[in-house]
Amino acid sequence: MIPKGIGPRLALVALALGAVALFSEPHRGPFVKLDARELGMIVDSEVDHVTPAELAAWIVEGRSDFRLLDLRSPEEYASYHIPGAENVQSPQLAGYPLLPGEKIVVYSQGGIHAAQGWMLLRALGFQGVYTLFGGLDGWTDEVLYPAPPPGDDPKARARFERAAAVAAFFGGQPRAQAGEAAATSQPVLPKLAPPAAGPVVPAAPRGKKREGC
Amino acid sequence: MSASKPRAPGSAYMNPYLAGVGLGLVLLAAFVVMGRGLGASGAFSAVIAWLMDLVAPAHAAANEYYQGYLEGGTHPLKAWLVFEVLGLAAGALLSGLLAGRVRLSVEKGPRVGNGPRLAAAFAGGMLMAIGAHLARGCTSGQALSGGALLNAGSWAFMIMVFVGGYATAYFMRWQWR
Amino acid sequence: MNAPLYKYGLFGDEMSLVIAFVIGIGFGFFLERAGFGSARKLVSQFYLNDMSVFKVMFSAIVTAMLGVTYLGWMGVLDVDLVYLVPTWYAPQVVGGLLLGVGFVVGGYCPGTSVAALSTGRVDAMAYALGIFAGTIVYGEGYPAIKDFVNSDARGALTLPEALNLPWGVVVFTVVLIAVGGFYGATLVERRFGGAK
Repeated sequence: MIPKGIGPRLALVALALGAVALFSEPHRGPFVKLDARELGMIVDSEVDHVTPAELAAWIVEGRSDFRLLDLRSPEEYASYHIPGAENVQSPQLAGYPLLPGEKIVVYSQGGIHAAQGWMLLRALGFQGVYTLFGGLDGWTDEVLYPAPPPGDDPKARARFERAAAVAAFFGGQPRAQAGEAAATSQPVLPKLAPPAAGPVVPAAPRGKKREGC
Repeated sequence: MSASKPRAPGSAYMNPYLAGVGLGLVLLAAFVVMGRGLGASGAFSAVIAWLMDLVAPAHAAANEYYQGYLEGGTHPLKAWLVFEVLGLAAGALLSGLLAGRVRLSVEKGPRVGNGPRLAAAFAGGMLMAIGAHLARGCTSGQALSGGALLNAGSWAFMIMVFVGGYATAYFMRWQWR
Repeated sequence: MNAPLYKYGLFGDEMSLVIAFVIGIGFGFFLERAGFGSARKLVSQFYLNDMSVFKVMFSAIVTAMLGVTYLGWMGVLDVDLVYLVPTWYAPQVVGGLLLGVGFVVGGYCPGTSVAALSTGRVDAMAYALGIFAGTIVYGEGYPAIKDFVNSDARGALTLPEALNLPWGVVVFTVVLIAVGGFYGATLVERRFGGAK
């Protein structure tokens, strides 16, 4: 009963495949598979952190090989965010445009949302995910308002000079006394002056070409 | 199933369904390897943007459309579509050579002069270019690639292409007399 | 799940240009094989003599569509990472109309014009020059029509999403439409067919 001729035969194949495809769902959707043991080991080994100093160095160097995600609310993001950060809320992480091989750094105010976001992204299959150690609080403390070292160790002093220069880059300034706690005095965060310009819209990953026709 | 008539001096065309399946597999390869579809009109735009930048850089920099092809740091001609279209020419030439269909000629009806036919071809190209840029693609990019991905805008576009074509056909009969 | 290969970092930008050329060869080869290096054959679609344009287009669409569906379903292809041209209904509808008119006036579309000019068709060369001219006209006029061009934006939208139907249902419907269309095309060719 198979018809003769290429056209009719192809039509039959297409109809059969199409009928089976009635039950298909080619999109991955939000459901994920977790390897709990593997993730537990990664958490334990603490290789998933990036310190504020490291992140500051990347930004100063002008590296563009990573994505920085700010998981706080839009209002918090608008008042201050780390330069180059993109604002994403936790529910949007599943559908957010990220490439599989990308290096992704997530942060929140203290770190809880960032840690949860880290888990979600790893569950979605992204391997290069890191949390900012200490969150924005750590960033404020170490990068924006670095404390001078106690004592006279020249190496520590040299490190502090460099940290002060980095702080100036981001619009902050070093604290006068080691004992002054930035957190308790709640310094005013720098205004969004360059390089912390407006919100970063992830139109296309940096350097990516057009994909239209 | 229609029989394909041989056209002298070339050989018969491939069965349209088979050619279509071949084309579909090429398109699928683009999806799987690159994560994008095919295209053609974008290559022409890249060339124009590049020329505009060469001839009138200040003007090109001020125009948002050309800037779309010039910004980003890479040379506008180092674009995926430009290389794809060059391959298109090569592949078509290969097929034409194999079939003996390569010859310098003007496709037109026997009672039409070259001039009017070439003028119509030029005009058609202009209209089509404007349409393709409005739609963000042409038949290869929008209709084929977007169609296969069930893109809503692509299907709307594709239907209108056929509408526009059938509406105009009557008035262009003269080219083929 | 490790495809699209480029987006999973299997190779870089330079290689992607080589791949573009190779894919282009396949594209151009099958276009010319089908006879689409000839304006006469292309416009015959619109005179109902020769429905090859419809047959080739829809065979290609159905093939790639079923391929994407099955590869995505099997978890081989990450369909979310395949670029979808965003939808702007109004300009795309108008653009399609203009393109259809230009198709029949000129006898080609951009891809087929390249296929034709590489096999020596002078009218295809004229058509390609027209495309360049039209692109300049569009580019110069863009600031004035920018708002229309970006109107009616829906983002990346698929038919299943727009019609609120499951993906598989739309796929099967497209296959039905294509096969029905092929049968209808054969009837039309029998009625109106003949070399023009």
